[in-house]
Amino acid sequence: MASEPGLRLVHGQGSGGDVDALLTRVARGDSEAFGQLYDEVGAAVYGLARRVVRDPERAEDVAQEVFLEVWRKAPRFDRNLGKAKTWIMTITHRRAVDAVRRNEADKRHDQHAAPDELDREDPGEAVILAEEHGAVRDCLDTLTELQMESVRLAYFNGYTYPEVATLLDRPLATIKTRMRDGLIRLRDCLQGA
Amino acid sequence: MSDLHTLSGAYALDALSGDEAREFEGHMGDCASCSIEVLELREAAASMGASEALTPPPALKARVLAAAERQPQLPPLVTHIDGAGKKRRRRRIAIGAAAAVLAAVAGVTVTQTQGGPELSRPVAAVFHSPDVHSTQVRTSNGGTITVATSQRLDEMAVDTHQLPALSKAQVYQLWSIVGGHPRSAGLVTDVTAGRAMPLPPHGAAVAITIEPAGGSRQPTSQPIVVLSPSRV
Repeated sequence: MASEPGLRLVHGQGSGGDVDALLTRVARGDSEAFGQLYDEVGAAVYGLARRVVRDPERAEDVAQEVFLEVWRKAPRFDRNLGKAKTWIMTITHRRAVDAVRRNEADKRHDQHAAPDELDREDPGEAVILAEEHGAVRDCLDTLTELQMESVRLAYFNGYTYPEVATLLDRPLATIKTRMRDGLIRLRDCLQGA
Repeated sequence: MSDLHTLSGAYALDALSGDEAREFEGHMGDCASCSIEVLELREAAASMGASEALTPPPALKARVLAAAERQPQLPPLVTHIDGAGKKRRRRRIAIGAAAAVLAAVAGVTVTQTQGGPELSRPVAAVFHSPDVHSTQVRTSNGGTITVATSQRLDEMAVDTHQLPALSKAQVYQLWSIVGGHPRSAGLVTDVTAGRAMPLPPHGAAVAITIEPAGGSRQPTSQPIVVLSPSRV
């Protein structure tokens, strides 16, 4: 499938390959590999869950749900459909966003924060400098402000695109397009990195 | 390019409502370039997510591993796409069979070496059902339950072994709440065995309360947990 015209996957470096190999073993019921997989991606899963749901306890619950889903569905993971780590991060994001949307009270709370304040990090927290960190930050800087805000409000705050349109006071069609061209720019930049 | 196509970015960011997401997924089925684009945009989004890595609390790993030990894996899907399909299919089946054997052996090991909780047969049936959906939920009295549902068996089961033990004068009672009316769905007389019950109708809630031994006709205390089985 990789040779199909038009298919350009963003290949990461470093531990990405290990995650693929580990998931293959996990798919065969190898619980030791599952422990190693946790060591490889646990911080990424927990960090994203934490970023989206905010509350540490709920982030832990989300992370646990993610790993259970990964364990359960590993035998059905299709490596033709991308990297294992992308699959795991996609599950993480979906579960985290579901958790946020289930809790409307949380959401109302978040709406009081100005968009530019939303990405403040808790100084007490041990942030891991992920291998992706520098490249992602640099590439996000290449986005226009509206692209970046649209992408971040949706991805890190769990807003739907109509909600983002309301928050940023822009037409729906504009936001939907900015999300797409913003991500395309991010993809192209990361591919070049 | 159709209008739907431009939703690929919002879809990759999980920023569509459930209905729109399903509509877009239907569209992707007919649009190979859309699927590829989503794949690539997902990869970019995933990098953004992974860049937020944060050290998880140390206890989380043990919780995750213990939970996985009690959770069966789904059997692999048997697919054949192209001319080489037949050969590939046979190999996948063989791997599937091996995985099933491994899972069975792992299950035996768990119960033998840990002498751990033994779920009752109806509860285990739900947890081992191929279409099982399950999730862990904390309770207000400091415990955790694992809830599993199976549409195929039309059953739901609760693994209660991580609930605090009660005195002999008390019992955990399950309730199915339809239209605001709780109806008893059984008592958890043995927390290690758990409890199975018929899958409540869509939109119904399930609650657990602590009741006097023997159970109550109607809940007499605040639920320690309320959940929606359709969300499991």
